[in-house]
Amino acid sequence: MIFVVDDNREMAECIVRATRREARIFGNAYEAMDALSDELPELIFLDILLDGPDGFTFLNELMSYSDTEKVPVVIVTSLDLARKDLSAYGVVGDLNKDTMTPKEIRSYADEYAK
Amino acid sequence: MDAEVDGILVAAHELKAPLAVLRQLALSFDEMDAPNEHIRSEMISVSERAIKQVNDLAKIRRLSDGLFEMEPVAVRAVCDDVTRELAYLFRFNRRDLAIRYSNKSKLVTANRDLLHSVIYNFLLNAMHYSGEETKAELVVKDEHGKVKVEVRDYGPALPMDVWKEMKRGWIKKPTSIAMRPGSSGLGLYIASKFSKYMKAEIGAVRHRDGTSFYVQLPVSRQATFWDL
Repeated sequence: MIFVVDDNREMAECIVRATRREARIFGNAYEAMDALSDELPELIFLDILLDGPDGFTFLNELMSYSDTEKVPVVIVTSLDLARKDLSAYGVVGDLNKDTMTPKEIRSYADEYAK
Repeated sequence: MDAEVDGILVAAHELKAPLAVLRQLALSFDEMDAPNEHIRSEMISVSERAIKQVNDLAKIRRLSDGLFEMEPVAVRAVCDDVTRELAYLFRFNRRDLAIRYSNKSKLVTANRDLLHSVIYNFLLNAMHYSGEETKAELVVKDEHGKVKVEVRDYGPALPMDVWKEMKRGWIKKPTSIAMRPGSSGLGLYIASKFSKYMKAEIGAVRHRDGTSFYVQLPVSRQATFWDL
């Protein structure tokens, strides 16, 4: 199972389509955190600029629980994160919303999700 | 930063989001064996919203020319048009929209296009901030000799600074703090500009479980078909 956390539903649907896998979409960090207590995903695609708590707050939440800290996260954003090393937060990669392709999205799904 | 430049940055960022989505949707076609009707509908919906936003921004520039005539406008018909336009988007985002008309005064004094944009932006805002599987409400009623169009959402409480600006009756500029697509306040800024032009009162009410945005319009004294 893959989680996509993005407040832009259309963009989230594009990501799900590209993964060609079963996925759940969450419009904000609260909903995603709630769902994490029921089910641990194999991979999370995470937008940074969310309504309410942002992606960085969500990453901190993930790191604070023993079961969620190991869930791999791919950041999907228009922000320039080129110089930020977020590997300590379980971030395994980042995609730029303006330039990413379905193939790039799927490559992460292929690597981390069944 | 200069307020105008700040506003342009917010607008540019808001308009970049639908372009990024359109690009992804176009790339999705390569992923499929046959063209997909669902994706085509999404592309139309996203591009129409972006075009509307550009049109609204262009209209703000033209407000000072006074080109938008005030006329008797059938408020329910405008609401029907807007809800029809946004029906796909509400369905796509899994939100319900409840509509309730109780106004006896059928005509208000307004500019039809500007009123359309005010209600459109209120509803888009409500859709954006309501949680999944929740609803937004559009209510048209008579109040204090005016017609009140109110849009209620069940999302997070409106930030105090935006509420204060709405209480004052207009928003000075969209916020660029987060520059988040759909939540920079650009829609509310457009709605407040257009309402001010129409001499309509705009405001917001904070609820424990969401926010209501409203615009109050003067009743047109022209006899309506229903009065005859």
